[in-house]
Amino acid sequence: MEKWECQACGYVYDPAVGDPSNGVAPGAKFEDLPDSWVCPQCGVGKELFSKVD
Amino acid sequence: MKIVIVGNGMAGTLAAKTVRELDQEAGIEVFGEEKYAYYPRPNLIEFLAGRLPYEKLFAFPEIWSTRQRIGLHFGERVARIRPDERIVETGTGGIFPYDALLLASGARAAVPPLTGSGLKGVFVLRTLDDALAILDRLRTHARVAVLGGGLLGLEIARAMRDRGAEVSVVEIFDRLLPRQLDPAAAGILKHQIEKTGISVRLGAVSREILGAAEVRGIRFESGDEVEADLVVIAAGVKPELALAKDAGLTVERGIVVDDSLRTSRPEIFAAGDAAEHRGRVYGIIPASFEQARAAAHNMLGMDMPYSGTVPSNTLKVAGLYVTSAGEVNPEARGHEVLVRSVPETGLYKKIVLKEGRLVGAIWMGTKKGASEIGRFVALKKDVEIRKGDLLEDTFDFAEMS
Ligand SMILES: Cc1cc2nc3c(=O)[nH]c(=O)nc-3n(C[C@H](O)[C@H](O)[C@H](O)COP(=O)(O)OP(=O)(O)OC[C@H]3O[C@@H](n4cnc5c(N)ncnc54)[C@H](O)[C@@H]3O)c2cc1C
Ligand SMILES: [Fe+2]
Repeated sequence: MEKWECQACGYVYDPAVGDPSNGVAPGAKFEDLPDSWVCPQCGVGKELFSKVD
Repeated sequence: MKIVIVGNGMAGTLAAKTVRELDQEAGIEVFGEEKYAYYPRPNLIEFLAGRLPYEKLFAFPEIWSTRQRIGLHFGERVARIRPDERIVETGTGGIFPYDALLLASGARAAVPPLTGSGLKGVFVLRTLDDALAILDRLRTHARVAVLGGGLLGLEIARAMRDRGAEVSVVEIFDRLLPRQLDPAAAGILKHQIEKTGISVRLGAVSREILGAAEVRGIRFESGDEVEADLVVIAAGVKPELALAKDAGLTVERGIVVDDSLRTSRPEIFAAGDAAEHRGRVYGIIPASFEQARAAAHNMLGMDMPYSGTVPSNTLKVAGLYVTSAGEVNPEARGHEVLVRSVPETGLYKKIVLKEGRLVGAIWMGTKKGASEIGRFVALKKDVEIRKGDLLEDTFDFAEMS
């Protein structure tokens, strides 16, 4: 599954891991995260993430 | 255990959050000169461009909830440290004792000593108040000049262009991003920026910002002028060192810290844009983040060494990915250089080899292969037999890893 990287701080969202600190269970695709979700490291929004390929 | 934190930017906020996660009992007081709760500064660009509404600027509001029992003092400056008594004094006369103190005072925008830099209509962009003031001016004044063609200057220019302003970027160097790019790549980047309607003026040394009460333009050493009624200076930052100096801490370009983020006084720590570690002042979020996390542990007596941050090779500039690693402008002889360039799309790939080993690369306009090429350069990988294919978009890095 696709990983997404925060362009501000480098945090990588990995769907296999999810984001437990924000109650996102493993398996959730990046696209399906709510619009209110922010980078757990630096706090920027989804629009500052880009796909890792 | 009483912890006082000066600054509620990335470093101060993250340190407060980490301390609370590690220790439910520690007293935490956070002072921020800005009157706002934490917002990541990259959001200011999105806000300026009109892509992010005001309410969405702020992050991690849950940290400040009463449940976390963190003492919040936003809009309150720490005026002085009295290190021998282990107390801080605030601008309003408050006195707070500490067992450990974290200086997360960050950096301010640097303003070069240029006549006219104090005129109405001249701004910097570091804080939310700066962004609000720029947007306020932009409502009635839409001829913008950005002084400084570095990363921040280019982002500001693009954001203001997205708002419909007429924008020119003024850069002292004779090309863009001279450290990351070579002349050809810089030319392509310039062209890509110009395609969006931004004008780029290179090799332009500003002599004076013109205007009587309000700004009306910029005059260059060459005698040329550019008209502008809104000027944003993006000429780098300078760490905020006043408190540290006054307290007698060792200060160079930043507040000097060791691998435990301790300053020259063991109970005072520093992290983020204000700190200098092993001779480096990073000025980037990943370093602020790692330093703050380590400082939080060490303040609580949990040993967490910090040995430095490796900045990412990849930037996003004016919507283009730019990866730059190693020697991109080799000066010595004995290097082999291979280039593939598609100027119309902004694609530019260059590899620099020495005796068949990869010692430098530029990868612009694509992210495919970018992290791999960066890693290969770090490893000085021998690519002699595949060098002919490496620059092709179809090249599969997996088979070489
Ligand atoms: C528009 C913009 C975009 C950026 N984009 C990126 C990016 O994409 N990636 C990246 O890595 N970096 C980026 N940066 C840099 C990044 O924001 C900084 O590295 C980061 O903010 C540093 O955090 P800090 O907490 O050390 O300092 P700061 O964010 O500067 O926070 C320090 C705070 O301390 C306060 N303070 C100072 N002195 C006192 C005092 N005496 N009493 C009380 N409070 C005080 C200041 O008012 C300030 O609010 C960007 C910066 C800007 C301006
Ligand atoms: Fe982030």
